[in-house]
Amino acid sequence: MSATQHPAQHPAQQPAGTPAPAADGGLSSKGLSAGTVGLVGAVVIGLSCIAPAYTMTAALGPTVSEVGYQVPALVLVGFVPMLLVALGYRELNRAMPDSGTTFTWATRAFGPWVGWMAGWGLVAATVLVLSNLAGIAVDFLFLLLAQVTGNPGLADLAGNAVVNVVVCLAFMAAATAVAYRDMQTTQRLQYGLVGFQLLVLLLFAGVALYRAATGEPGSEPVSLEWFDPTAVPSTAALAAGLSLSIFIFWGWDVTLTMNEETKDPDRTPGRAATVTVVVILTVYLLLAVSLLSFAGTGETGTGLGNPDLQDNAFAALAGPVLGPLGALVSLAVLTSSASSLQSTFVSPARTLLAMGHYGALPTWFAKVHPRFFTPGNATVAAAAVASAFYAVMRVVSENVLWDTITALGMMICFYYGATAFACVWYFRRQWFDSARTAVLTLVCPLVGGVVLAVLFVTTLVDSTDPDYGSGSSVGGVGLVFVLGVGVIGLGAVLMVAQRLARPAFFRSETLRRSDSLTDLRPASTDREHA
Amino acid sequence: MHHEDDQGPPARARVAVGYTATEAGRGAVAAGARLARALGADLHLVLVVPDTARGAVVPPDPGYEAVLRTSAASWLEEAAALVPADVPASTRAVRAESAAEGLLEAAHEVGATHLVVGAGSERGLARFGVGTAASELLHSADLPVVVVPLTDDDGRGGGPAAPALSRVTVAVGTRPGADVLLEEGLALARAAGAPLRLVSLQVLDLPGRLDDDAVQDTADAHLRAVLDEARAAVPDALVEEALVVRGRDVTDAVGGLDWRPGEVVVVGSSRLAAPHRLFLGATAARLLRAVPVPVVVVPRTRPEGGPA
Repeated sequence: MSATQHPAQHPAQQPAGTPAPAADGGLSSKGLSAGTVGLVGAVVIGLSCIAPAYTMTAALGPTVSEVGYQVPALVLVGFVPMLLVALGYRELNRAMPDSGTTFTWATRAFGPWVGWMAGWGLVAATVLVLSNLAGIAVDFLFLLLAQVTGNPGLADLAGNAVVNVVVCLAFMAAATAVAYRDMQTTQRLQYGLVGFQLLVLLLFAGVALYRAATGEPGSEPVSLEWFDPTAVPSTAALAAGLSLSIFIFWGWDVTLTMNEETKDPDRTPGRAATVTVVVILTVYLLLAVSLLSFAGTGETGTGLGNPDLQDNAFAALAGPVLGPLGALVSLAVLTSSASSLQSTFVSPARTLLAMGHYGALPTWFAKVHPRFFTPGNATVAAAAVASAFYAVMRVVSENVLWDTITALGMMICFYYGATAFACVWYFRRQWFDSARTAVLTLVCPLVGGVVLAVLFVTTLVDSTDPDYGSGSSVGGVGLVFVLGVGVIGLGAVLMVAQRLARPAFFRSETLRRSDSLTDLRPASTDREHA
Repeated sequence: MHHEDDQGPPARARVAVGYTATEAGRGAVAAGARLARALGADLHLVLVVPDTARGAVVPPDPGYEAVLRTSAASWLEEAAALVPADVPASTRAVRAESAAEGLLEAAHEVGATHLVVGAGSERGLARFGVGTAASELLHSADLPVVVVPLTDDDGRGGGPAAPALSRVTVAVGTRPGADVLLEEGLALARAAGAPLRLVSLQVLDLPGRLDDDAVQDTADAHLRAVLDEARAAVPDALVEEALVVRGRDVTDAVGGLDWRPGEVVVVGSSRLAAPHRLFLGATAARLLRAVPVPVVVVPRTRPEGGPA
């Protein structure tokens, strides 16, 4: 507490535009809540962001429909590009901590146009996942009600479009209120929720394995071939499966990027990231193997290839596997979706806020709520778009959740890829400073970025096929393609509109292109929030 | 708390203001400035930024922290600009788990005599019709807390020549503890050169009872006695008025009183409070909602050796 007292200051004595030194000094003296997150805390945050129960129920069906029994192989392989990109992400976060993340970094490396589109990609991906999360939560809410009351008819209510959309919008409104007012779950409660989620998933996988091994009809013996990525039928299937498996690790990067906030910045983030990924891989592999073995990939009944359960695999399998205890799975997915909604809301809101701040969007987005200290306007905007998107998709698509997840994988590849390339380019003058910089700022992000770019393009091309994904199509073209191109095209239109309305950002007046070496010189202060 | 006295000349008294960049916050700054001027004190504007690492779901983000820091700095700059030029003011942003906690900590650090907060805009939602922060303070603070309603007409056109406080009303209770209340009211009135008004509230909450008249007479006599005692304790010249007001409830009773722009009302905290701490009683809470001027809530007892 060095700066408790400051000389009386009056605005007249202060040069205009200078932040009050008293306020700034006072806050930084206490630090950025430094050293408050321990190893367990960091792992819990990581697991909450990944939300394994939600992720697996949403992604398992679509992945099986692409690669069949090779899901475990894809889980293992899919982690690699995520790891490579996350390493680059960490370097950027160290060099340029900014609430705009991908948007700011890509602008700094490649200029305003690429930066704008990269930021748009992040916002679009998170908005897609918000709508999917709320949709999954609706399914499980009705399923839970049906399981608890013993009235299977209740679960079918989720299939009624009007009921579904209304409940989903109510969920979204509740999640928006939580994010808007920054109501945080306490640590103890969150530890409990994450622990519960893991225990239920282990129980689910364990019972499925046991029942498959004891001759459940329709079950399939576990085979080592399931772990072999080369056994995937085609490269197109491999690409589609991989872009889905990027989604299942989405959120893991936060454990790596928590640095000064941890109690032991030298060791905690690395350990937390390792522990988290070991836990996640174990859970995913167990779930994938056990459910594949229990249900097979058949296209009827509980088979994971059945189009009717693509949207939400656990909802279909919890009952057959666990019987009356299936309600536990519903509860685990619901709590998992709730924490994921909470953490996911933060990223589009903060990116929109940064875009507003630098003039890439109207300043309305840059407003910080004076009482809740959240990006209030940006949060409401993200929620409104996600709600509208869900409502429209529910009508347009036969399998809204399936298609949003596939489109989501594509958008993640887009903005993660852009982030990876931004890392490579931003650090270009420091690549060969040391072996460390060569690996972390050149090799890893470059390979990761190229993989994601290939996945993005392959998925985009393949998704033009009207039979792609759920088989929903618009005008003879696959819905996923229309979604991907539509979202990116809409971004381009909005970008041009903003360029015409407020050109300062696009003339690099608010955020300049630069590189890591230039920014190390003390004179460069341009990236500070003015 | 008094370690500051060790260094250099005795520090000037300070009035701390909990600021938020809202209508309620601006009202608090205006009322705080008036109080500071009356007491010859410095104003200390405090903005509490919530601790972002308190949750276990949203990862901490240094980039967003920077946004909050610059926002806090510019808000405090705006707040400082609201303070009249003749009142010396300092600003400070603190980080805390809750607004109340941060405000109390900051107020103690500068040895503030009063802590001024806006009542918040959530009338009807929060339990006492005051904001969450104000409500929490009113149940834990160990110094007088001034709650400024949104409806406060502070006579902002007054300028430095106008008296800082137009009148000090003391809501004299029916129970012991009034001496501290009177001291506070007297100190404010003396410092500001403002007249004092003593008010005793009588709420007839059992209408229609047979012995209504008897009850009322007894209560009346009791209140008169308390009021007379209070009146005797302060110099006559200062007291403008001493009256008993009646009503079906507090709002009804208070409804008959007139209020001047720039007036404050002093009330005591509940007997339920721990010594030297506030605990807003039911009557005081209702008063807070019914009164259109800032309310100074005073702890029941003074800390040992504290300011008189």
